[in-house]
Amino acid sequence: MGFANVAALVDAELAGRSTHTFFRKAPAVVTVAGAWFDYSMAPGNPAPQYYAAAPLVAQTMSRSGDGGIQHGGNVSPSTKHLRRLTAIAVAAAAVPQRLYLLDYLMFYPFVDMGTGEEQTMDNTQTLPRFADGAGVQVMAVLVAPHGLVGDTFFVTYTNQAGVPGRVTPLHTMTTAVSVNGTILTTQTAGAGRFGPFLALQTGDTGVRSIEAVQCTGGTDVGLFTMVLVKPLGEITVREITAPAEVDYMLDAGGKCPPIEDDAYVNFISCPNGSLTGTQLNGDALFVWN
Amino acid sequence: MSGFSSLDDLINEMTVNGKFLRADWNKLTHATGVQAAGTWYALPHATGNPAAMTLGAVGTNLAFHPAYEGMAGSIYHGGPVAPDTKHLINASAFSAAATTMPAIFMLVDMIGWYPVTTTTTTGNQALINSKTFTATAATPTVLTLAATWDAQTGTPLRFTTTTTLPAGLSLNTTYYWSRTGPGTGNVATSYANLAAGTFVACSDTGTGTHTATVYIGDRQPTHGAGVQAFLTPSVALGAGTPNIQLTYTDASGNTGNTTPTTLPISNATAPIGQIEYSGTGAGKCGPFVPLAAGDAGIRQVDQFNYNVTHTSGTTNVVLARPLLTLPMTTIGVAAERDLVNQLPSMPRVYDGACLVWLMYAGAATPVASAFYGHLDLAWG
Repeated sequence: MGFANVAALVDAELAGRSTHTFFRKAPAVVTVAGAWFDYSMAPGNPAPQYYAAAPLVAQTMSRSGDGGIQHGGNVSPSTKHLRRLTAIAVAAAAVPQRLYLLDYLMFYPFVDMGTGEEQTMDNTQTLPRFADGAGVQVMAVLVAPHGLVGDTFFVTYTNQAGVPGRVTPLHTMTTAVSVNGTILTTQTAGAGRFGPFLALQTGDTGVRSIEAVQCTGGTDVGLFTMVLVKPLGEITVREITAPAEVDYMLDAGGKCPPIEDDAYVNFISCPNGSLTGTQLNGDALFVWN
Repeated sequence: MSGFSSLDDLINEMTVNGKFLRADWNKLTHATGVQAAGTWYALPHATGNPAAMTLGAVGTNLAFHPAYEGMAGSIYHGGPVAPDTKHLINASAFSAAATTMPAIFMLVDMIGWYPVTTTTTTGNQALINSKTFTATAATPTVLTLAATWDAQTGTPLRFTTTTTLPAGLSLNTTYYWSRTGPGTGNVATSYANLAAGTFVACSDTGTGTHTATVYIGDRQPTHGAGVQAFLTPSVALGAGTPNIQLTYTDASGNTGNTTPTTLPISNATAPIGQIEYSGTGAGKCGPFVPLAAGDAGIRQVDQFNYNVTHTSGTTNVVLARPLLTLPMTTIGVAAERDLVNQLPSMPRVYDGACLVWLMYAGAATPVASAFYGHLDLAWG
């Protein structure tokens, strides 16, 4: 249903159709500036997950099965939206810190960096939400440390229109850091590192499934997981002396990100240094109608 | 018309008609045990100003106990203003104590609680929300509740009957209990009358069987809307990590709803004041117990369940409605909230509201750490 107007949003909140939750993540790994990090693997609340499943077999993610930020139960046929988000970092090393809130949809675990052969995925399971893949992005998350040699890889996938055989540009793995949770295609400099999400073939706006991954060098050790995600919202913690707050109704032109039933929701972060021993605290308000 | 028709009207009510109150407060963190990082605490039963509320074994175990303005532990906000409506327009909080940051404070209207001294009991325990009663034909009438419910002063009640209520009592009307003894009391038609000692008279005893039932719906836009539940010990809990489940009546009046199958897990040896299932790791959430999918609030809690025991202690199932949050990052710097320019703007503070704070400790916070702040309220 959503909100026909501001009054509908206010009425929904006053009627109690809302869930207020909090989070506290405390990474125990040494990250570096500019290399994105996956908070879903960090200890705290919500409890971490580690992309543990059969290698190369698509595995869906859900609130009920995997955890993530507690956003309340299913509300269909109503629709749930992120209304407000607050984030607080209190260690200087942790700021500024850009955060994306993601709906984690599905992952393909344990891509092996040690082979140059094509690694084919099992797609018995399909996207549980945003099923056509529109807007769905891919991130490569390190789950077993690599040797920082800067190997390259590309991904063959089916796009949002259902067209198979689409191919990403060649991506270069980070040479900056090698801790679990690192988003492998990020660091502050260097060609072939496009950001937290893989660059897609020209014209594509999303990914429905991954068909194969191929490491072109195949000389490194380490494992990574391909994760399909839907970006929901952004918040940036700029300093340790003030909380960052986003009211998506007032600050984002009324665009309150949708939260699907049973969505697994968590953060990725672009830190400005090591997050080890720092904490990310905050709260979120979800409203449905 | 109650409320404010415009910003000009708000300014006029405050500056011309004097319908404004600033309420300053200070609360200390609980005196036992460092407040653990990543954990929520309830401050109504911590010391400070307002003084500590007495939770726990007051009245009958498992029976609803009301919370309302004027009782120890509630922030004074100016008393009843009906037919006007009262609203929060500004709020602040800060601390100068070391290692108190970060913290998030949440202001709630605490509706009431169910004390649970039987924390060594497993399985569903029925909570008390209603009893049959008799009433005298007298001025004021004296009501006697069936055994056993030692209802406490301020309990909001509505009456039903199998035949005819005593003349002087009405259906679909909220009355407020004034305790005269265990299970006996008078009733008033408003918090103002309760405070003034103005009670209802009855000219007969009615016919049939009468029932008094807790009714909290005058403190929300609709009965139960936005009301959440949390659990906090008033006597430290002993060993044990039980799963917690509540059975409740939701804001639509559906009975028998239960909290989700992924249940919060109580903390072993949770100290006084801790929201006992909050923290970090699996099974931890907070500050409120998750509700069944799609539920928008709680009218009453019907059953309480630990699947295994704590070895000792007293907890409280508290009903509360959140009003605002104040995130703090820096010692000595006030967190401030302009509530006029929020959405929804100016949370309403209902007559009788019991304003108390919940606290999220972002860092290990020492005992007796002082927090201060204020609330600005206006009515019209």
